[in-house]
Amino acid sequence: MKKVLALALITYREGIRNRSVFGIVLFSLFIFGLNIAVAGFFMRDVGKVTVDMNLSALSVAGLLLVFFVGVNLMAKDIDRKTIHLVLSKPISRVEYIWGKYFGILFFILASMAVLFVLSCFTVLLLKGMYADYFGQFSWLVFSLAAFFVFVKVAVLAGIVVFFSSITSNSFITLVFSICAFIVGVSIEEVVFYLRSAFAAQEAAISGSLRSFIEAISYFVPNLAAFDFKTEAAHGLPLAWDRLGLSLGYAAAYVVVLLLLASFIFRRREFN
Amino acid sequence: MRRWGHLLLTLILAVGAHAFFNGGMWESRAEVRSETEAGYVLPSRFSRILALGYQGLLSDYLFLKTATFYGERQMVQKELSESDWEYFTASLDVLTDLDPYFFDPYLLAEGHLAWEGRIEQANRLLRKGMEYRDWDWRIPYFIGFNYFYFLQDYENGSEYIMEAARRPGSPAFLKPLGARLAYYGGKSETAILFLRGMLAETDDPRFRAPLEIRLLALERAAELERLIERFNREQGKLPARIEDLIKAGYIENLPEDPYGGNWVILKTGRVFSTSKFVRAKEKDD
Repeated sequence: MKKVLALALITYREGIRNRSVFGIVLFSLFIFGLNIAVAGFFMRDVGKVTVDMNLSALSVAGLLLVFFVGVNLMAKDIDRKTIHLVLSKPISRVEYIWGKYFGILFFILASMAVLFVLSCFTVLLLKGMYADYFGQFSWLVFSLAAFFVFVKVAVLAGIVVFFSSITSNSFITLVFSICAFIVGVSIEEVVFYLRSAFAAQEAAISGSLRSFIEAISYFVPNLAAFDFKTEAAHGLPLAWDRLGLSLGYAAAYVVVLLLLASFIFRRREFN
Repeated sequence: MRRWGHLLLTLILAVGAHAFFNGGMWESRAEVRSETEAGYVLPSRFSRILALGYQGLLSDYLFLKTATFYGERQMVQKELSESDWEYFTASLDVLTDLDPYFFDPYLLAEGHLAWEGRIEQANRLLRKGMEYRDWDWRIPYFIGFNYFYFLQDYENGSEYIMEAARRPGSPAFLKPLGARLAYYGGKSETAILFLRGMLAETDDPRFRAPLEIRLLALERAAELERLIERFNREQGKLPARIEDLIKAGYIENLPEDPYGGNWVILKTGRVFSTSKFVRAKEKDD
């Protein structure tokens, strides 16, 4: 456990030192500024637009962090063969996988916490400017939605670690992870669409396609389960059991992925 | 040194060329945008997927696009074609599918679909909003207004106004208004009450202008109606023509119809205008 933490800390520091982080923070600041600029274009729901833009900025920043910095942190060792150096230390391959994952997680948590604080300032400012148009806004739901953006990114980090354990090229890891992300965000719509189409007796879609999609839905994470942006935008009440289920789902999915990654990584040969 | 001079000269020429083309490009884009058909709206079933989890953000963007499209046509006073209206309605429909809680599209539907005579489409959209935003009194209020004002269906109108009155935070005048509707539905004063409420809900000057003109016309009509009522009480009959009010000394000059028509007295004692409260330009097209 100590070794895992030590490796996680090293990975975290390496991530924070990465120059791209500044770019990603600047990007978020740009979106927050844009938010302040366009809020006046809307008629009534300024609060909704503000929350939409803030959470989307957090979410895109999280994706950039995990796909560009995260992939780099994980795959660089293998790409540049420094993995031999690391594995020659008294650290097992399983510890290496978990250490790397927690390092990426700390790094994303720290970066997103900074962005979240900045985003709170934007919301506060706009709330002051358009006090009447923030009727249903709730800080609790907003913060919860932001936390679940982090949970989504944490699941994606698990996917990045998993694919890095299979491939030896960081670009392939990136492509696979982005594909998993795209399937993950859209799988729910597709599954429910197929179900509803079948209910309506639409014969154009074959039964095998439906079973295929249903099967896929066990392998890719349903990222829509972590999306509480609509609730946050309109200050709708959130059921605690829904939050608990989503959190449990994320944790279980990541643990399975990391165990698989550890298993593959242990048997892997580096050349 | 000569090489620097050449570079500088080329740079100045290039910047000049850029300024020229930039100006021309924006002008031509403005022309193209006002001429071209609005285009195709991707059904929500697909755009929900293509939004990649950013449905809320996509609905904000679509809203801005739709409002800009509509506002541009309003600014150049260009009549919207049938396909433009289809685009406008479909777009509002899709963006309220993406985020059914988003209030602004409902406000746009009420302000502009209903006022342009597309009451069925407006009410269909608003009913979606009423179902999702079940805490919001404004949406049933809008539907009630449409029934009352455009369809002259006072019974349905009062039902929706009552529903609005039951929702939290609704203004106190709604309850008596709902009750009044069944009896005094046809009066201009009732319409004025409604319009004031609508204006209180609209900030955008582009969208306020038509409402304000309508309110002004109605206020003037209501003023004339009050005089006619007085005339009727004192003289025992309705004036035959509106000018009789001047002759009998009830008013010095007739107020101008902001839509440019002439006032006429209906048999019921109500005042209406030959403009039918529609801008003259729109009627010519």
